[in-house]
Formats: sequence, structure tokens, C-alpha cells
Amino acid sequence: MAVVGTKKSLNKNDEDHSFNELLKDEYKGKKLADPVNKLEDKWELLPAFLKVKGLVKQHLDSFNYFVDTDLKKIIDANQMILSDVDPEFYFKYLDIRVGSKSTSQGKDRTQTPHQCRLRDMSYNAPIYVDVEYTRGKKIIMHRDVEIGKMPIMLRSNKCILEGCDELEMAKLLECPLDPGGYFIVNGTEKVILVQEQLSKNRIIVEADEKKHIVQASVTSSTHERKSKTYVVTKNGKIYLKHNSISEEIPIVIALKAAGLVSDLEIMQLVCGNDSLYQEIFAINFEECSNHNITTQRQALEYIGAKVKTIRRQKLSIFQEGVEAIATTVIAHLTAIDMDFKEKALYLAIMARRVVMAIHDPKNVDDRDYVGNKRLELAGQLMSLLFEDLFKKFNGDFKNSIDKVLKKPNRATEYDALLSINVHSNNITSGLNRAISTGNWSLKRFKMERAGVTHVLSRLSYISALGMMTRISSQFEKSRKVSGPRALQPSQFGMLCTSDTPEGEACGLVKNLALMTHITTDDEEDPIKKVCYLLGVENISVLDSTALHLNFGVYVNGTLIGTTRFPAKFVSQFRKLRRQGKVSAFISIYVNQQQLAVHIATDGGRICRPLIIVENGKSKIAPNHLNLLKEGKFEFDDFLKLGLVEYLDCNEENDSLIALYEKDLANDITHLEIEPFTVLGAVAGLIPYPHHNQSPRNTYQCAMGKQAIGAIAYNQFRRIDTLLYLMIYPQQPMVKTKTIELIGYDKLPAGQNATVAVMSYSGYDIEDALVINKASIDRGFGRCETRKKTTCVLKKYPNHTQDILAGMRVDENNKPIWQHEPLGADGLGEVGMRVESGQIYINKSIPQVAEPTAMNANGINQAAPAAFKNTPVVYRAPEASYIDQVMMSVSDDEQSLIKVLLRQNRRPELGDKFSSRHGQKGVCGIIVNHEDMPFNDQGVSPDIIMNPHGFPSRMTVGKMIELVSGKAGILNGSLEYGTCFGGSKLEDMSKILVENGFNYSGKDQLYSGITGECLQAYIFFGPIYYQKLKHMVLDKMHARARGPRAVLTRQPTEGRSRDGGLRLGEMERDCVIAYGASQLLLERLMISSDAFEVDTCNKCGLMGYSGWCNTCKSSENIIKMTIPYAAKLLFQELIAMNIAPRLRLSDVFAK
Amino acid sequence: MSSSLNSHLIKKVLDPEIKFKEATSEYVDFTLSNVDLSLANSLRRVMISEIPTLAIDSVEVEKNTTVLADEFLAHRLGLIPLESYDIDKLRYNRECTCDNYCNRCSVTLILNVIATEDSSKSVYSRDLTIVQNDHIKNLKLGNPAVSNDVPEGILICKLRKGQELTVKCIAKKGISKEHAKWDSAAAIEFEYDPWNKLNHTDYWYETDAKVEWPIGKNHRDEIEPNEDDKFDYQAEPTVFYIGVESAKSLPANQIVIRGIDMLRQKVDGIYQELENMDRGLDLEEDLNNNINNGLGMDIGYQDENLGEEGDAYGMPNFAEQDIGYNEASNNNDDYGEANFSDDDEGDAAW
Repeated sequence: MAVVGTKKSLNKNDEDHSFNELLKDEYKGKKLADPVNKLEDKWELLPAFLKVKGLVKQHLDSFNYFVDTDLKKIIDANQMILSDVDPEFYFKYLDIRVGSKSTSQGKDRTQTPHQCRLRDMSYNAPIYVDVEYTRGKKIIMHRDVEIGKMPIMLRSNKCILEGCDELEMAKLLECPLDPGGYFIVNGTEKVILVQEQLSKNRIIVEADEKKHIVQASVTSSTHERKSKTYVVTKNGKIYLKHNSISEEIPIVIALKAAGLVSDLEIMQLVCGNDSLYQEIFAINFEECSNHNITTQRQALEYIGAKVKTIRRQKLSIFQEGVEAIATTVIAHLTAIDMDFKEKALYLAIMARRVVMAIHDPKNVDDRDYVGNKRLELAGQLMSLLFEDLFKKFNGDFKNSIDKVLKKPNRATEYDALLSINVHSNNITSGLNRAISTGNWSLKRFKMERAGVTHVLSRLSYISALGMMTRISSQFEKSRKVSGPRALQPSQFGMLCTSDTPEGEACGLVKNLALMTHITTDDEEDPIKKVCYLLGVENISVLDSTALHLNFGVYVNGTLIGTTRFPAKFVSQFRKLRRQGKVSAFISIYVNQQQLAVHIATDGGRICRPLIIVENGKSKIAPNHLNLLKEGKFEFDDFLKLGLVEYLDCNEENDSLIALYEKDLANDITHLEIEPFTVLGAVAGLIPYPHHNQSPRNTYQCAMGKQAIGAIAYNQFRRIDTLLYLMIYPQQPMVKTKTIELIGYDKLPAGQNATVAVMSYSGYDIEDALVINKASIDRGFGRCETRKKTTCVLKKYPNHTQDILAGMRVDENNKPIWQHEPLGADGLGEVGMRVESGQIYINKSIPQVAEPTAMNANGINQAAPAAFKNTPVVYRAPEASYIDQVMMSVSDDEQSLIKVLLRQNRRPELGDKFSSRHGQKGVCGIIVNHEDMPFNDQGVSPDIIMNPHGFPSRMTVGKMIELVSGKAGILNGSLEYGTCFGGSKLEDMSKILVENGFNYSGKDQLYSGITGECLQAYIFFGPIYYQKLKHMVLDKMHARARGPRAVLTRQPTEGRSRDGGLRLGEMERDCVIAYGASQLLLERLMISSDAFEVDTCNKCGLMGYSGWCNTCKSSENIIKMTIPYAAKLLFQELIAMNIAPRLRLSDVFAK
Repeated sequence: MSSSLNSHLIKKVLDPEIKFKEATSEYVDFTLSNVDLSLANSLRRVMISEIPTLAIDSVEVEKNTTVLADEFLAHRLGLIPLESYDIDKLRYNRECTCDNYCNRCSVTLILNVIATEDSSKSVYSRDLTIVQNDHIKNLKLGNPAVSNDVPEGILICKLRKGQELTVKCIAKKGISKEHAKWDSAAAIEFEYDPWNKLNHTDYWYETDAKVEWPIGKNHRDEIEPNEDDKFDYQAEPTVFYIGVESAKSLPANQIVIRGIDMLRQKVDGIYQELENMDRGLDLEEDLNNNINNGLGMDIGYQDENLGEEGDAYGMPNFAEQDIGYNEASNNNDDYGEANFSDDDEGDAAW
């Protein structure tokens, strides 16, 4: 505490100090008339932001909130377990903790994340609860009872990596650049993707102009249930609709049921004094009076009669109606003591919104608007799952308690705690299973979601990072609506504008922008109190005539009062927020159309920090930035001092944000920190993206994730199923600010290649690249693949187990060829070369694995010594080397062997490369150094790229990258290609000229073959090239003869099974059309599944060995060749009592 | 025959001339004049790809507990330039009679480092020690080439405390056509006609080519053409500005000398063949011999480890070569032949 105190005071001193300095400056008279210092370094806020928040902070925040706050809420909501048998008995949860006992200070776990990865275990921590229960007559308290294990998100506050510095991380074999935010379940890294949803508990108004339907809907979501309430129009009248009410209820009846009995009041609440609205709404009263409903009781009974419920004991119609209004309609509002006023108001407002939309169809909400979206993160999903499992756990626990308590006389008093451990596995395995399969099935909400989790892609650092910022939408991929896929203007700064996949998920899968924060839930009640303190008139004292004259104040979509001075109220509220009196993530904005002030405290809103501007001046002064640079200020200090604030999408729309400092004017409220934060982490790699055609940036976002490079600092310690690493990765010559912020310069994936943009040899058509052989010799594009083989030595019930056989030796005591890589222990030796057909794990399994029958003496018979050899044989076109052999024991005591095979690959024809501008190409030819073109300095290119790649693609950014890169080489500096900024082309050209080059980046080149200089000048310089994971070695495949499928005897399918190359239907059609019947016969039968059958020409059925079993004769047997598949078909038909008979005749009959 | 053509021919007969501008062990800059463009380019190409040097070709890893994989290290070791001044005293491995490798066709280097200090230890190319034998004694051959500014040489890898690297490197003779590690020259500057008098190039410019295009270092050596001068459409490039930067395995001047020598040997090869024709030798047999030779070379290029198959092809020549080994001229012829056929193959690809 003392430390914190001093730090705070220190900051204050700094502030005073700097303030004095400012004053001094002015007294010198120097800067009195000068414009305020340029805030050129305001981008420094971004690294400060990322230092505090990190790229995956949203996941960590959400998980931390879950384990620290949400768990306790769940425990409180499901606190008591009572017995049906013994009314005296109770079992009560008092507290819950994850990872640490109440006594221990830190986190008492010994397993490290990396151990879990290697040993195929789950990285989790015990869940401890404190309980109080009765044993006989006594009340017993018990602390630290373990009820299961909770998977721990890496780098969350329950993870041992939290707060580790680089050295400590290294000791734990973790990469300090690894973002964390994922789980490790059974050794695999699993990410819970961010899920995008329509916001809960908010009114959404939609209109179908063709069908003249307007509907306002609200999805109520509470811990117990989820339901949707609609207010819809039908034939010009307004109705209430709900899933559990079988029929639409006229809105006036619904409102009457909710306690608004007076028609006048209803009219006033819905329409106010607006005669136009009154006219639209008036018709609804008629419907109500037609039903002759005037009292609340009548209305409730009307509704009660239409409720569909399955209840144990039947309620009266009236009670059903009350129940419906109280609990099912707009379920997120709780009615206390039959006070439905809140609900009545809510319904009235929904009706009003519908009326407004009828009046003007433009008054509808946009479902795709980011402000109407909420992001569901790992913590929320885990919380749903945990509550479900916890309820089930309590149910099982209660059953087992009841079972014991039911027994009339027990010897000892029953201790309930004894049966708690029986079920603890349910929680552990439930959580584990959900995360490892990605199936979130919750009976409570009838939620059945698949594909929630994904294996963290470790193809490259960027792909892992990209996965952590990914947002998946709940929308169906197959539906062909453009709305949800389109780029929303409100995405600006919140979601990356470039990073989305192509194809079916286009626009549905999004990525977070660089500087975003996703909120967690905040308490509503204190905010309400603040509102009342700021002069909001409470709705309980509301005069219904005044409702629509004043501005309504809504907290999380619910009306809590009105205010006459919205602007003043909002500015006061914001002042409080800037002072830190209320949470920084609470947003407030005015909606002029609806005459409403909305305050949002709910979780899942995307927001981003902006610099506050007052009176046309930025609140951040240069001295603040100096303090930041000196390390005396952190990002949170800016927040605390009210220089920066978080705005969510809705509040952003209530502000006027200047993009640059030069745009500052009097009515400006905020200033952008840096414009390049519109892009996300992956799109941030592209240099000069603002010069590119937009789809090119999107293509690069997809390809950047396939680029081979460095993955993590612990990459050589990892044993992944498949890992691609680049041998000599380089950081790009043309960097961006984003690259530095995310650490791509430390874990790059690509190399700076000298590129000549010219035509050469004709092997460069269709984007193919010409690559210099000498460059490849020297290490360009070299990569390493590492493949894992896992092998478990199983133990069997008869006390036998799989064993490793040693190597077999020949007469010279040398190992036989197949066993060459093996050591004496039957495992491959590290460093040995393994060729196709050789064995690297010599495993044997016992031939008898079932428990042997006990003999008469009851002693186990001697276990059979016979073992079957099941070695792991290496099959691949190229040899590998054994990199690592790991032996360990998995969670269930089985010995686990992992062998890592390594391969070193140099680029070859057909390997895929790409620049950072969505320009991919395969290697078309590898040319000797002396044949390559060169300039007068003897520099020859690494890559020759065909100029046809430019005109149609319009990747001007690539050209500028080349010029900047070239200037950087000559200058000995790394240049920047940051979006909306970066090194200026003019400056770069100047450097080129200073160094004796043409300003355009073009050079005079000579032909390497003739030595003659080329007529055209060639665009020549470095471009960062990525090697993509698609390599010929992994794909090449050919087959003459080979394996066949057992059933059909046709050649197998696919490269992995050494399959045949299929002559498909369309190819077949061509051959038929052409009339090459012999070719057809050869391709479709002879080379496939030709089979010789003996058919009987008499009965037409098939016989065998020259004998017809149907006719019992060999007289009419004819041998013929048919496809085996046809023979199979005949037999299957026979099996279902259809006799296909072959009638054979001679084509060339005389 | 027109007179102008005659004069043109006569001009060519002028003796080739080399004028040195700068010559250090690392860099030579010279002007080659009175030669054809094709000849000048041939010299450049030969210097890039066909000067034999020594480079580590196979690595026997005894112990490697470093973070780098064996193949990775082997590749790095291969790229280290080794002193190759007396490379002529070494045979090509594939032409040697030995089974695997021997003193006459290879140089063995040992690298043996253990890190004992707490901080990381860097392994440099100077840590490679040559295994002496009678054949390479007193020869300038096999030592890792270092420059004076960086006496420790090239960084091979870094070791942490307790890590060990023990490898045996077999360096063999080769040319960079096979692999760039045998490259002797770092870059070869090559320019002619700096003022573009021959109009071989169309200047790219936005407003004024003269302003926009920089003046290179060779511009001063030629007179700036007058804009009014008539364009001589028959003129051909005759002066070539060539600069050779050494990659340290050979001194720069040696690269040029050996380049010229190599070129001469190749021409000699052609000459010899034609001579043989005149002498009425059995052309067909000779041709076969040549083809065999070429094939043997080819296979050797792709993979030395092919072993027996390659040997079988190369066999007929071995006896001859062995005798001829001590005689320089004969030896040269062999090379010439071999290289000639090799080039042939290169041409065929075009």
C-alpha cells in the first residue's frame, strides 16, 4: 500500500511541476502567441495503451471478471442445497476461489503451461469453496473444499505467468511475446473465439416496408432464462407477442394488464401530445373495448387464458396472467410485489417506438450497427457453462444426500461433505470437454452451440495473434444477405476494416482493431443513484403527461427517469466519469430522435480511447507526452487525469472527433490518438496500405497468417503436430508502427528480397516468380518443418503393456536397414536420419490383452510373452532427422512418447511466395546467378517479378515499399510504411538521388546472358517476401499402381493413401463425347477395378470357377470382365431379392 | 564485302587491353577495351560461376547440443569462405580415385567448442582448425578467410553454458555453378557506354532525362557526347568497366586472372576438339567419350552421394586423368573438356 501511495503522490508532484513549467514558459513571453506544440508524439499513447492492455486484454479481462466476480455471483445465486427428506438439513456455499486456498498467499500450483502442452495435460486450477452445513444438530463450517478443476486462461490473474518478466517467462519455457488468452486442454491450445451478438435487453425496432410490419423486440436475458418479447403491428394494430403466449395480445390489453388502466394515461405514455402519433395509435383502443376489458384483472385473465405453460399444479387463469406479466414478459425487469409500473412503461415505450416507426419508417434500428452489438467473450461463455455444471453438480449432490438421509437409522451421523467429492469430476470434465470439443450445450437456455473453441493456430506468430483478436458472428454462413457482411461505418476504429476471410465467412468473421477494449459488466445501481443525484426525476413520481416532453434517462435500455436538461446532465455525468468517480467504461449519449439519454454499463461493448478536446484544444499537452516518454506516466494516468477517455460506438456518434490536430475547432470534442488504429494487428503489417486497392489488403490479411517465420521464442522447445519455421527470418526493411507494437520485428515471417520487376524467361507468367539460385544457396526462403508423432504405451487389464522392442541387428552386429535410426531402447536416436520405410519407434503390443481366465488356484496364469510388432514407420518422399524424443507420463499414468522429426527445405519449383500486398506467386524457375540481370554495381535480384502483376491489382503500396526499402538500404535505416503516414515518398526519392540512383527507384540493368544493357529501365529494390506454407514437397503425388479400397477394389483416394488420380464425371463426359470408347473402357474399368466373373448365359447370374450354382451346370458359363463395383451391385441387389440377369449375345454374330 | 564491314573487322583485331584503376586484395577495378561485348560478359560470367574454390561440403556432426539443428549448422559452415589460393593442387572429389574423400581431394577442418563461461559464447569461423597433412602442407589452402577489420571471422552460432559443438568438416573443391558457397567474387561491377551513345537503353524520364539520371563513376572516363552528334548505328561497345570484389577465398586479382584462364581453357577445349577432327580421329568415339564425361559430371553435380552409378559413368576417364594429374597442361585439357560439355548443357537449356 505504501508503495502505491508514494506513486500517487509522485504523479501529483509531477503534475504540479509540469504545470509550473508551463506557466514559466508563458512568462518568458516566448510562446504566448505561438500555437500549441504539435502533438506529434501522441501516437506514443498507443504503446502505452498496449503495455497496459496488451493485444488480448479483452480475453483476460473477461476471464478475470469471471473468476473473481462472476463465480461469486453464481455461488450466491445457487447458495443453498436443501434436502427433500430432512427439513433440518442445509448445505450452504459461502465463498469460492480458484487456484489458491484461503490460507495461501500466492498461487499454489506446480504445473507450468509448457509442461501441460508437452505432457498432454490440462492447465487448470482447483476450485475451492467454503461451506457451511448441518451434521445432525451441529452446524459445521469447512474451508477449501475442492469441487473440481477450472481450466485457466494463460496470463490471466490465476495463471502463474501473470506479471512475469521476460526472465521469469524464459525460466518457465514460455515466450514473452506470446499473448496468452487461451486455454490448454489435453495438451492442445484452445481459444474461445469472441462471439458477436445482438445486444441483450435493448429494444430493436425493425420494419418491413413491403409487408407493412413494424416490430419492436427485446431479448431479455437473465441468469435464469432467456426470452424474447415483441411488440408488432398486424393490420395496422399493435400487439404484444411472446413465445410463451399462444396468441398476440392487443397492446392496450397488455398495458392494462400491467396496471395502466386509464386510456388517457396509455395514450399519454405512448404518444405524448403528438396528434399524429395519437391518430396512429387510437385504433388500438377499439380492439380493447371490443373485448370489453376495462380493468387490470380482466386484462390479466385475458392474457392468462392464452398462456402456454406446463406446470405441476394448475393455477387459475388470473394467476397465470399475473405470472406471465411478472416473469415471462420482458423477463429482465423484475416486478416486486405486483408492481408492474416499470414493465408497463417499458411496454409503452416499445409501443411508442413502433408508432414512431409507423409514422416514419426511417425511425428503425440497424441490426448491423456496431453499437447494437455485444461481444461475448471467454469469461461469459465459461460462466454460462460453469453455472450449468454447478447446478447439475448441486442436483447430483442433493440426490446423493437425500439417498443417505432417506435411510431411517444410520449408525453415525451423516457428514454431507463425504459425498461432495463423488461428483467433483463432473465439473472438471464438463469444462474440459466443452473447451476441447467446442460444443456449448446448455439445457437452461436451450443453447446448443458448436465450434465455439478452436485450436490456436501456431502456423506463425501472426496467425496466433490474429486468432486472438478474431470475432465470429452467430449469423448463418449460408444465408445470402449482404447486410451483416457489409462494412459498417460504425466499425471505424473498433473492428479492422481489412481483416476478414474471403469466401463464405466473408464479413461474418471480423477482427478487433488495434486499440479497442471490450467492457465487462458494471453495477447498475450506483449509476442510477448518480443519475438521481444529478437531478434525474424518478419514474415512480413521473407524471405521464410530462414523459415525452422531457428527455428520458435510460440505464441499459430501461427507463429510470426523466430530465429536462439533457445536455447539462450528460456533461455533468461525463465530468464525473473523467474524474474517475464512475467507471471509465460507462457510456452516455443523447438520442435526439427518441428524446433519450442512454447510459450503458453492460459488458461486451466495444470501446476505444480518444483524446479529450475542450475549447478546441487538446487536453493532452506536449509535457504530458514527455512524461510518458520518460516513463513517469502510464496510460492509466492519462485516464485518471481526464485527458483521455473511452468511448463506445454509441457515444462516439454523440461526439465530434477530429482525425488530426490541424482539424481542431471549437465544436470538436475529441481527437483521434492515431488514425492507423483503424486497422487490426494483422492488417497492420502491410506497408503503405492506404495506397493499395482495398481487397489486396484483405488478401494479405489471409496470407500473412500462412507465412512461415519465427513462431515464438520457445519454438524449439515446443512439440507441435506440425510446425513450419524459417531458417533466416528478417524483420522487414519497411516497417510499420504496428509491427513494432505487436513484436513482429522480433518474430518476423519473411525476408527482404531484392526484386526486379521485369519479364524474364517466360517462366514468370501468371504471377510465377523467377528466383536466383545463388540466393537460395545462401539461405533465401529456407525453412524447417517439424512433425510430431505421438505414441502411447498402453497398459492392459491383464498386467501386460505395450513395450518398446530394441533394434534388430544383422550378423555383423550392425542394425538392419529399417532399424538404423533406432537406439538400443527401440526409439529413434536424436540426430539420426530417417528415410522412408525406416522405423523410428519400435513398438510392440501384447497379443493377448484381455484378462486371462483365472485357473483353479485363482492365480493368474503366466502372462503370454507373445508380442505383435507395431512399429511406427516413416513414410515421406524426403528423409527427416530426429529432432527430439520426449518420454513422459500422461495424466492417466500411461507412458507417453513424442518424437519430433525435422526437415530442412530449400525453395523449389512450385513453392508459394507472397509479398505483403496480397500478391502471391509460385516459384516458376530457378535461374543461375550468372544468368540473372544485374546493375552496374553487380547487384542481381533475388526475385524477378513480372510487371503484369501491377496494373490490374493496383498495389501502389508495394511500389512505394520498394522505393522506401531501397532508400533504407542506401541510408542504413529502417523506413516506415505505417498506414496514413510512414516515410514520405519524396523524402525517399531524395535519398535515392543523393546516393546516385534515379528518384523513381528504376535502375539500368544488364542482361546476364548477353551482357547487353536492357533497353528498358527496371524497377529494382527490396520488397519483403513471405514464404507461404504451401510447398510442393507436401503436395506432390503420382501413382501408377497402388493400394485399392477393400470393398470396391477401386484405387484409394487422396495423397495420404497413395491414391489414384480420378478421371471424374466431367472428364468422362468429354471422353464419351469424343467417342474414345477404348480409352473410356481402359480408364474406368481396366485401370480401375476390372474383375473377371463367370456368368451363366442361361440364368444370367454369376457363378464361380466355371460353375453356375443356380443351374448346377458348367454348360453355359461365359467368362467376362466387368467392374468390381458392378459385380458388387449385382450381389447387393440379389441380397434384396432383385435378380439382375446378364443376357449376353455376340456382337459379331454371324 | 563492303569496305565498312572490313574496317569493322579490322577494328576488332586490335589487341585487347586492360587498364587497372584500382587493385587491392579485396577489390580490383579495371577497364577492358578492344573486346567484344560477348567476350567481356563471358569473363564476367566465368568469374561469377566457374572459378574453383574450396568450401565445406560435408559435415560430420559428432556432438551438437546447440540450439541450431545439424543441417542448419552445416549450411552455415558451407558458406564460410576458405582460403583457396592453391586450389589447383586439389582434385575434384568426384574425379578422385578414393572411395569417399582423401587428402588429395579434400581438406578437413575441425570445430570443437564447449561453452564454459556464464555468458553466451560465440563460435566464429576462426575457431575452425585445419587438419594438417602432407598434401596441403605449405599450401595456401583451407584456412577460413578473414578480413583484417573482423579478425574473428564469421559468427557461426552462439552457445550457452554447457553447450557443445564438435564437428568435422570436409571441404571440397567446386565451382559456384553447383552451389553459391564456391563463389569467389562477391559482386562484379560491369558497365559500358555510360553516356548511352549506343542507344542500348531508352532513358526513362518525366521531364528531362539528363537531370533525372545520375552520373555514375564511369561517366568521367568517356567524353560526353554532343547532342548534335550523328548517331553511329554501327558502333559497338568496346570499353568495359569491370570491378571485382572478392569474397575472400581468393584475392581479387586472382579472380580476374583465373577467370581469364578459365575462359582460355574453355576455348582450348573447343580448339582441341576441332584439332582432333582434323587429325582424323574417330569422331564418333570421341563424341561418346564427351557425352559420357558430361553425364558423369552431371550426376556428380546433383548429388555426390550417388556413388557407384556416378563412378561407373566417370570410370573410363579416370585412368587418363590420374596420369595427367601432375602435368598441368594435360590436366587443363581435362577440365576444359569437362566444362565445355557442361556449358553445352547450359546452352541446351536455352
